[in-house]
Amino acid sequence: MKNPDAIVIGAGVVGACSALSLVNAGLKVLVIDRGAVASGTTGAGEGNILVSDKEPSPELTLALRSRDAWFELNTDIGGGFELEAKGGVVISRSQSGIANLKKLSAQQASCGIKVVELDAKGIREIEPHISNSVEYAVLYPQDAQCQPMLAAAQIMRAVRKRGGAFIQGENVESINTKSGKVIGLSTDKATYQSPIIVNATGTWAGAIAELAGSYLPIMPRRGFILVTAPAPKIVHHKVYDADYVANVASSDADLQSSAVVEGTESGTILIGASRERVGFQSDLDVAVLRQLARQAISLFPILSNIPLLRAYRGFRPYAPDHLPVIGEDANVLGLWHAAGHEGAGIGLAPATGELIAAQITERKTFMDPTPFSPKRFKQESNVAI
Amino acid sequence: MHNVVIVGGGPAGLSAALAAAAAGAPVLLIDSNPRLGGQYWRMPSDDVGQQGEQHFDLETGLILINAVKARKEIEVLSGAQIWSATHKDGVNTLRVIQNGAEKIINTKNLILCTGAYDRTLPFPGWDTPGVMTPGGVQSLLKGHGVLAGKKVVVAGSGPFLLPVAAGVVKAGGEVVELLEANNSARWLLSPFVMLENVGKLKEAFYYVKTISQVKVRARFASAVIAAHKNSEGNLESVDVATIRGNFKIKKVRNVKCDVAAVGWGFTADTSLAGALGCKQIVAKDGGVVVSADGNQQSSIPGVFVAGEITGIGGAELSMAEGVIAGINAAKFVGCKVEVLKAHRKRRAKRQRFADALIKSYPIKDGWISWLNDQTVICRCEEVSVGNLKYAINELGATDSRTAKLLTRCGMGLCQGRVCGRSVVDLVASELKISPTDIDRFSAANRPIILPIPLGVLAAGE
Ligand SMILES: Cc1cc2nc3c(=O)[nH]c(=O)nc-3n(C[C@H](O)[C@H](O)[C@H](O)COP(=O)(O)OP(=O)(O)OC[C@H]3O[C@@H](n4cnc5c(N)ncnc54)[C@H](O)[C@@H]3O)c2cc1C
Ligand SMILES: Cc1cc2nc3c(=O)[nH]c(=O)nc-3n(C[C@H](O)[C@H](O)[C@H](O)COP(=O)(O)OP(=O)(O)OC[C@H]3O[C@@H](n4cnc5c(N)ncnc54)[C@H](O)[C@@H]3O)c2cc1C
Repeated sequence: MKNPDAIVIGAGVVGACSALSLVNAGLKVLVIDRGAVASGTTGAGEGNILVSDKEPSPELTLALRSRDAWFELNTDIGGGFELEAKGGVVISRSQSGIANLKKLSAQQASCGIKVVELDAKGIREIEPHISNSVEYAVLYPQDAQCQPMLAAAQIMRAVRKRGGAFIQGENVESINTKSGKVIGLSTDKATYQSPIIVNATGTWAGAIAELAGSYLPIMPRRGFILVTAPAPKIVHHKVYDADYVANVASSDADLQSSAVVEGTESGTILIGASRERVGFQSDLDVAVLRQLARQAISLFPILSNIPLLRAYRGFRPYAPDHLPVIGEDANVLGLWHAAGHEGAGIGLAPATGELIAAQITERKTFMDPTPFSPKRFKQESNVAI
Repeated sequence: MHNVVIVGGGPAGLSAALAAAAAGAPVLLIDSNPRLGGQYWRMPSDDVGQQGEQHFDLETGLILINAVKARKEIEVLSGAQIWSATHKDGVNTLRVIQNGAEKIINTKNLILCTGAYDRTLPFPGWDTPGVMTPGGVQSLLKGHGVLAGKKVVVAGSGPFLLPVAAGVVKAGGEVVELLEANNSARWLLSPFVMLENVGKLKEAFYYVKTISQVKVRARFASAVIAAHKNSEGNLESVDVATIRGNFKIKKVRNVKCDVAAVGWGFTADTSLAGALGCKQIVAKDGGVVVSADGNQQSSIPGVFVAGEITGIGGAELSMAEGVIAGINAAKFVGCKVEVLKAHRKRRAKRQRFADALIKSYPIKDGWISWLNDQTVICRCEEVSVGNLKYAINELGATDSRTAKLLTRCGMGLCQGRVCGRSVVDLVASELKISPTDIDRFSAANRPIILPIPLGVLAAGE
């Protein structure tokens, strides 16, 4: 493609959604990834599209729009990525936990989220195998899921069909600027001109900002997911303990996990996901697997006999304040960031794409994007521009 | 802490255990089967006799197994599966499940002899009940004294088809066809190797004699390229083709049978070595094996490897390697012992035979032309050739890992042990590129080596 209007770096779910929104807005878009589609964190994610785990906040506004945007996108590109409104069930077993969950769900309801309170009997009607110790839960019918790798791949397919171009296997090694403005980029194989670059490199977004002489504090947060052997239908929704919500927002570096348990079409059960800050350490950590297994069994004791088949891990991209970064760089004009979605990048991707495309094309955004602006970070080191 | 820990109770592991024990090292031998012997000397459940009938060289096996049992330096853990293993700061941690409980074993000194499993190639109908691997047919026979069917077609490539056919005949079954995909003349490529490994020829002769007694003759340049089922869904017949040197089909005929034992040599089971981080390489036949130096040591000091996991070469090469690994492991823990020249010579001779084998029984990628879009590739997840092609041509997968993520190919119960290697070849063929080593390694490795019940996992420390 000659002289694209915009280049998107990264073909994870966020890059794919950004590219699609830009193409839909009429731009000539080139997507470049150093690997294949979904070869980054998207290929290691679980595919939860959750509204249940967010407190009223700008992120919840983004999540609500994104959840609906997933279903619109599904219709728009013809599906093929196993999108399903499966519903989430959040439980709590302690007095204080139940009180908090009641409070949170009431607040969420006031923001337009559908919530259904369930008593001991109500829970067992929809999750017959839940532990005896569970007596209170909230059902979130809007919680959904997709197969994230297929989603990214199907979206990239649509991008290509609508005139976008996609280059795989080229590593971006420099962002070329002139008087503080983007003019293009160079990979290990070629140089491309473009006045706009969207940095959708997830966990590696800080490195791209650095290439441009700017700064973006995105760090990796490791997570493991367990996959069991196929089993008869045991788990019908996404079920998790309310502690999970506390974990997501936590800044503690130690291992935290609150297992989200869900059954899939093929009968396998997914148990995810742990959260630790251990850099890019990739070795199998059995202690983490054991903790996830214990939590899953505490929700569904019957899982005890089901064999674990495999485990995979990925590195969530996170910013110090746990909010995604969506907006133009603080120092370099024409460099846009769409990264740092931590454990919610799949869920938040379509709305992120809309937000980034609307800002680039100077159209009306569906919400005020300021809370996500990269300009919120104080640069720690002085880099020459 | 035990001095030498050995995983695998087949020809390599038994030989290693005896060699290390003879050198004075205490040994812990871990094996997942209920009885020692590995693939080659798979022992029947106690109530089934006539094992000798099935086997050319059972004596050696019984001698080794009894010797291992008799030595007080050797402790045996049978029926014990290692589900996970990690290496950190010189110590190898093995997590073993035995009788539903987990044990943790830490050791600096380890010999891996985890062997190999049958290599399969997909073809239309290969997922029909009745289509089996030769190893599957043989382990039913050897382990349980059960014959899988009455009319049996044995097909594929490699010398291991012979003992399987002989086993079927001895057990009273009818081998309706014995089909070798390669040309008989290929052995002429390595005449000297044949001469120096006369023992092997004798073995082959033993099986040929058994088979020819019932007038079964092997047909060369022939393969089973499709299987058909009857109204009950079981195997009814197979399509047999004469094929060219590149495995492309020449002429097809239909053969009635109720079992087809189809196998294409072996794939090394490197998952345990891979979990520890031992360096792996791609062998001449495209299979992934563990890299070993002249002392059978892997890239991790103190971790030795022997048998089929270092390259497919048969039971005798496995034994020769096992002895050298056992001696070096004993030396590693301080025993005064040296590998003898004779040991190295024996290994070299067997190695030349193994190389000749690979040369004589190549698997050519013409097999891909036997498939159609409906052919199932991954039986566990029911992924077809068409699904894979869609992932490549429509979704833009440019390597086998991505094709796998987009189709779930190889993500099921067997964790890609059956289809992983074929998927790598298929994806490369569709993309018109050669598979990279990384593609091959990623198909051969799995961090969870064997499934573990969540309850057992949760109960561990
Ligand atoms: C265990 C786990 C479970 C998760 N579960 C969920 C979940 O249930 N729901 C949810 O919403 N989120 C989940 N997440 C988070 C989610 O996976 C991520 O937020 C999301 O995938 C991030 O997508 P991305 O497109 O920003 O990044 P990525 O998918 O990582 O894409 C970035 C791309 O940039 C490319 N790239 C990087 N550097 C360069 C360069 N220099 N040149 C060229 N290309 C480059 C990479 O190759 C990569 O393909 C989970 C994460 C983990 C680890
Ligand atoms: C059908 C068939 C016919 C054959 N016929 C012949 C023949 O006629 N002549 C010949 O020379 N060779 C023959 N072979 C090949 C022969 O079986 C092998 O060469 C030989 O068994 C290899 O020895 P090994 O010690 O490397 O591995 P194996 O005998 O395969 O032993 C490996 C052992 O390791 C154990 N193990 C693996 N992983 C784990 C784990 N994670 N935890 C615990 N234990 C584990 C396995 O249970 C097994 O007992 C045949 C093989 C087959 C399948």
